[in-house]
Amino acid sequence: MFGQAKLPQYTKETLPNGTVIAMMPRSGVPLVHLRVLIKGGVESDPQGMAGLANLTANLLRRGTSKRSAQQFAEELDYLGGTFQAGFDGQLGSATAISSEFLSKDFDKGLDLLADAILHPAFTESEVHKELARRIDGAKAVKDNAQASINSYFRAAFFGRAHPYGNPPDEMSYSQMSRKDIMDLHQKFYCGRNMLIVVTGEFDPSSAKTKLAQIFGAAPAGTAYAWGTAPALVRRGQLLLIDKPDATQTYFQIAQPGIDRKNPDRTTLDIINTLFGGRFTSMLNDELRVNSGLTYGAGSILEQNRLPGAIVISTYTKNDTTTQAIDMALDVLRRLNEKGITAEQLASAKAYVKGLYPTSRLETMDQLAALIGEIELYGLGRDEVDGYFARIDNITLDQANAIIKKYYKTDDLTFVVLGSADKIREQMKKYDPHGTEVSIKTSGWGN
Amino acid sequence: MRCFYALLLLAALLPAQNVQTATLANGMKVIIQEDHNIPNVALYFFYKIGSRNERPGITGISHFFEHMMFNGAKKYGPKQFDNEMEKAGGNNNAWTSEDLTVYTDWFPSSALELMFDMEGDRIRDLSLDPKMVASERGVVYSERRTSVDNNNFGILYEQMHAAAFTAHPYHWPVLGWPSDIEAWTQQDLKDYFAIGYAPNNCTMVVVGDVTVARVMELAKKYIEPIPRHDPPPPVRTKEPEQLGERRVTVKKAAQLPIQMVAYHVPEARNPDAIVLDVAATLLSRGQSSRLYKRMVDEEPLALSVSGNAGDSLDPTLMIFTIQPRNGVDPARTEKVLYEELERLQNTEISPRELQKAKNQLLTAHYSQLKTIAGRASLLGHYESIFGDYAKTFTIDKDYEAVTAADIQRVAKKYFTEKNRTVATLIPEGKSK
Repeated sequence: MFGQAKLPQYTKETLPNGTVIAMMPRSGVPLVHLRVLIKGGVESDPQGMAGLANLTANLLRRGTSKRSAQQFAEELDYLGGTFQAGFDGQLGSATAISSEFLSKDFDKGLDLLADAILHPAFTESEVHKELARRIDGAKAVKDNAQASINSYFRAAFFGRAHPYGNPPDEMSYSQMSRKDIMDLHQKFYCGRNMLIVVTGEFDPSSAKTKLAQIFGAAPAGTAYAWGTAPALVRRGQLLLIDKPDATQTYFQIAQPGIDRKNPDRTTLDIINTLFGGRFTSMLNDELRVNSGLTYGAGSILEQNRLPGAIVISTYTKNDTTTQAIDMALDVLRRLNEKGITAEQLASAKAYVKGLYPTSRLETMDQLAALIGEIELYGLGRDEVDGYFARIDNITLDQANAIIKKYYKTDDLTFVVLGSADKIREQMKKYDPHGTEVSIKTSGWGN
Repeated sequence: MRCFYALLLLAALLPAQNVQTATLANGMKVIIQEDHNIPNVALYFFYKIGSRNERPGITGISHFFEHMMFNGAKKYGPKQFDNEMEKAGGNNNAWTSEDLTVYTDWFPSSALELMFDMEGDRIRDLSLDPKMVASERGVVYSERRTSVDNNNFGILYEQMHAAAFTAHPYHWPVLGWPSDIEAWTQQDLKDYFAIGYAPNNCTMVVVGDVTVARVMELAKKYIEPIPRHDPPPPVRTKEPEQLGERRVTVKKAAQLPIQMVAYHVPEARNPDAIVLDVAATLLSRGQSSRLYKRMVDEEPLALSVSGNAGDSLDPTLMIFTIQPRNGVDPARTEKVLYEELERLQNTEISPRELQKAKNQLLTAHYSQLKTIAGRASLLGHYESIFGDYAKTFTIDKDYEAVTAADIQRVAKKYFTEKNRTVATLIPEGKSK
């Protein structure tokens, strides 16, 4: 029905200093996309300095050895170019710096991007300004319940010892200095730790020469040494965050999931689609369509370098909080006990395949991100070319066995954000020893 | 000027030539662009009905209708639209604004006929099952709690609009006032369907892996037999001229204040509208923009600042939204905003700065053209708001024509004290 997905060809070569360059020339729209990955990402934050790698990425464009921050901004905006620097995904194990320009501006765009990545100045005044802004930003995010519950969840589910369990806060930012940023940059922004992906309309041979000349001059350094994931120590607990003015309760219910390379991932993609990954999913059908309790309910299957979580997530008005939580737990129990039907399996297979081209293969920025993932995680191009075949081959028995293995009903972590006076007593049935924190307290409850 | 002409060249290279249009016998306009790059299709329906067509008592009903369009028709009952679509590898969404209600379908080209069948079914024979109405009311209320009641930007935006518009329907929120969400009746819904969902009040846009012949064959089979009827009555009420500054305060639990400063500006078809787009870009897009530089970068006054006015059918607002830094008095950010607006009115704009703003607008526009969904969205937008889908490919010329003198003229005309509404969210329990 859908044929096969196919990743267009790309070339890959390694410079003498270890930098890997991947190129996929595509004609059509005269734009070029550059994506540079620095390995480490959220995992490379030093102890007590959550947010340092992300801060470093954000400061790259704020002044270089030959441009002030304002000169950089003016040149970039004049080209109408984009420049984004942050994590590759929410919990990226790489920092991604991506830029898009008109093809005719390739040289100017490359010069700006490389200048920011290789020669940032990190002046005392820019560092100070950005840190002050972030400390205020950490306060402002508490005004947004939906955004802040994710950070509380990270801390509660993974715990402080885990690189995913330390969302930055006022405290971690107040520990950072210019020297920490310089050290992180020197250590990780080096040849052996860098991957450059170029997609779009450009001349590959002259692009290769220019990239080799500019990025080949970076010191080789050493590649990031990946760590292992610490055990999850707080399973089965409930964290209640008190926001007295909230008129609805936001909650997440989580259990351990998988990493990006787990062999069960394709089957889990399909199952999680049915459970909470699309409009007609079991969770949304029950909590929204049948009962009108919420605007939306779903389940996220995290797939990062280290094993992540399977997270049920939704919200409802204060007085239907337990009704909604119980209903979500009931949907989970039914999935666990009854599994799925052949008809459901066929529908989810078609859905995932049908949307794959527009979500991953349509634009040059999507393709650059995909190549980045394939190279970073060592997935191989079969990740795309073999995807539909892997989906087709999933049998009902396999799917139901995977459900039993992952979608469990005990030892769940609950994170609930709402008006505590109205829901505190009712939360005890999920965990009689749950902890409570005020949203006004700095940090994320850890 | 070299750079700008090079940008024009890019526009010429974009796939504009193969857009085809037709009008069905029942009055629905069809816009088709073939693109076989990926085996997928974007099928969009733009109904020219939104909260501007409502009245007190039924505010929010356009948006509620958007939800009910997924709750069952004659051939495809409750849940079937989504079930059938997802089973065929497709996905959908919909949105409602003051002016439009838009239904967006994305699917593999193998599902093309199914989509025409289901879209035709719900346009012709929507059923309004009272049970579905009751449950969907809860869903919409939850959406309102999320985007307004528990969202400080949302609640300030709503209060600001209610003050800036006293007569015109842009006064009320698209989601509707809570008491109306609770109160609208089955009859209100039936009446509203009858006035809004006329095929002659809709534009269909199809972009992707299709042929024009096949689309027209399906359109004739499934959509054309739906009878035309009267479109919604014209919106008669015009907002009277504002005669003095209006100030609104919202007190709410919050860590930081928020400020919105809004000026009445004309509708999208007015030639001043595009000049205001360039002005807003120069003021607030990118880290080199005037307001970012002054308020976020050089002086520690704001965490963020933005300014824009959307394209609309009736005169609208240009809104500047500022989040002051911790400990900064909103009076200070307000004063600095006025200083920058005065500077725009009275000091010369350099050719490079003007060119920069135009280049930013153009590349942002082009980047929307990269996807079939982005193109379907722009083609329908320009057709519905400007009556001309081709603006998708010619807007560059409109940007090109804007001069520094135009910007100063519109800045002087609209950014005046008498014409503004200032809304401030003040954290409860803290003094101003």
